[in-house]
Amino acid sequence: MSGLSFRIAWRFLKSSRGQTILILLGITIGVSVQIFIGSLIDGLQRSLVDNTIGRSSHITVEPAGSARYFERDDDLIIQLTADEQADKLAVSYSNSGFMVYEDETWPLLFRGFELDQADSIYRFSESLVEGDMPANSSEILLGSALAAETGIEPGDMITAVNPEGKSSELTVSGIFDLQVSSINESWAISDLIAVQELFSADNQLSSIEIQIEDVFSADTIAAGWSGLLSEEQKITNWKDQNASLLSGLSGQSASSYMIQVFVLLAVLLGISSVLAISVVQKSRQLGILKAMGIKDRAASWIFLAQGLILGTVGSIIGTGLGLLLNWSFSVFVKNPDGSSLVPFYFDPVFVFVSMFIAIIAATLAAFIPARKSSKLNPIEVIKNG
Amino acid sequence: MAELLKLSGINKVYGEKIKTQVLFDIDLAFEAGSFNAVIGESGSGKSTLMNIMGTLDRPTSGEVVINGTKTASMTKDQLAELRNQTIGFIFQFHYLLPEFTVLENVLMPALIRKGRIDDRDKKRALELIDLVGLSRVKSNLATDLSGGQQQRTAIARSLINEPKIILGDEPTGNLDSQTTESIYTLLREINQEIKSTFIIITHDQRIAEKADRILEIKDGRINLDVDKYVAKTGGNA
Repeated sequence: MSGLSFRIAWRFLKSSRGQTILILLGITIGVSVQIFIGSLIDGLQRSLVDNTIGRSSHITVEPAGSARYFERDDDLIIQLTADEQADKLAVSYSNSGFMVYEDETWPLLFRGFELDQADSIYRFSESLVEGDMPANSSEILLGSALAAETGIEPGDMITAVNPEGKSSELTVSGIFDLQVSSINESWAISDLIAVQELFSADNQLSSIEIQIEDVFSADTIAAGWSGLLSEEQKITNWKDQNASLLSGLSGQSASSYMIQVFVLLAVLLGISSVLAISVVQKSRQLGILKAMGIKDRAASWIFLAQGLILGTVGSIIGTGLGLLLNWSFSVFVKNPDGSSLVPFYFDPVFVFVSMFIAIIAATLAAFIPARKSSKLNPIEVIKNG
Repeated sequence: MAELLKLSGINKVYGEKIKTQVLFDIDLAFEAGSFNAVIGESGSGKSTLMNIMGTLDRPTSGEVVINGTKTASMTKDQLAELRNQTIGFIFQFHYLLPEFTVLENVLMPALIRKGRIDDRDKKRALELIDLVGLSRVKSNLATDLSGGQQQRTAIARSLINEPKIILGDEPTGNLDSQTTESIYTLLREINQEIKSTFIIITHDQRIAEKADRILEIKDGRINLDVDKYVAKTGGNA
């Protein structure tokens, strides 16, 4: 594009200020709605996924077939830990047993973790409502529902019993609340070694639980890792177990794209029609310019440049406005507990792609008026009395 | 002296089914530096002739040769370039760009020519604006001028690319007689000074009489051709 077309385009836009502001407003609103809806849905999905699987295993290595446990394989654990796709890893041994407290017996699921590792996934320490994390193999955490039922407090002693009758004395170091009542009732969380000893299951594991960065690639990553496993192990991932959530998410994405496409289309038609009118309005000027020797291509570029300028300015303002709306939404629309209903989420790729598309679309919308202008014959305009 | 603009066998027919012939076998040549007036009643075909001479319109048959170049085989872009560099237009209605100032309007053909403006262009534009007596209003928008000032701006604009030919189609058609007089005096001065060739359509007999050569068009044909220029210079200047 020559400086000539750009200068004329700029002046045309500046001199018909009302029209320019109107069309800019159209683009700005369109782009801001697009950015707002897109970012909102994106943020919503991220928080939904985070709530659903943020504190659970994304990819799990489990015993194959009917077996409940497999032999601990340190090579496998080292390989998985070293893999760049794996973010956090925790091994666990879990088994059902009983707790005896003040002559009463309660069924419990004893879950043994290497607590430092497991805490990074399950965030037990953040879930403590009383007491502290277990400091050694003789301490245990109980759920808040069980504690309320039994009146157990941190510091109390309980007796853990396995189904064969083997028992060990453990101190309750703290009470957790994992927001799920069945877990709060039935889980007892302790050190891996302590639980393995209780059930005489040295070196046995019931699962290796892994969190990954890119949660939506869980299935492909899991498939890639399946070759590392022995025959007594199998691998599962969260996507297989949450098909309905995933179909909900993809439905939501599809409707979000639909909205974005139609908003963009409306903006396009707006730009196109205003510029088409402006070709008619400026036909006299175009005729003069052509008589003075402007070439058809340069005349077309006057309108494409107008589209480009309008698209660029409109999408920059629109993006700012859209992000501001998102931010306000995250600040002012709250859950009862004070957290944002939809947290503010800025995806630079989405934002820049949206801006880019809006600019290209605005320029393309100017294409029809531009063609029209190049066909204009100066003697249609320059008629003398 | 060289023939700057030559028309031979020009016919112009409008319409597909009902044909209206506007020009009949026009043969004309204009010499460099001359000041020519074309007169004729409205509908005589003089404006069509002017559009054809200015390459804004193509003849149905015949040849237009400008500055030694045959225009018949030229593309639209080549014609645009030829117009930009060789021909300056002054129309009856000034046809200035209302979005631009006097100075910017005057510079526009130079901007079209090169895509940018340098100091030399600007200096020349200011000289031309001075020449037509508009220095005081050079930063006004074209719409904030009187009719005479607008036409003076159009004259300055027609001169910016130093064209060999200036075509004027009733350049004073909508001005009062006093302003008309002063515009013609100005055109004449410019003609003397920079030796551009002027071809001016007018219906004003008094104005036409001041030209070197008067052509009268009637019903699409040349009815009268009086060449005082040849007489004055003995035809061998």
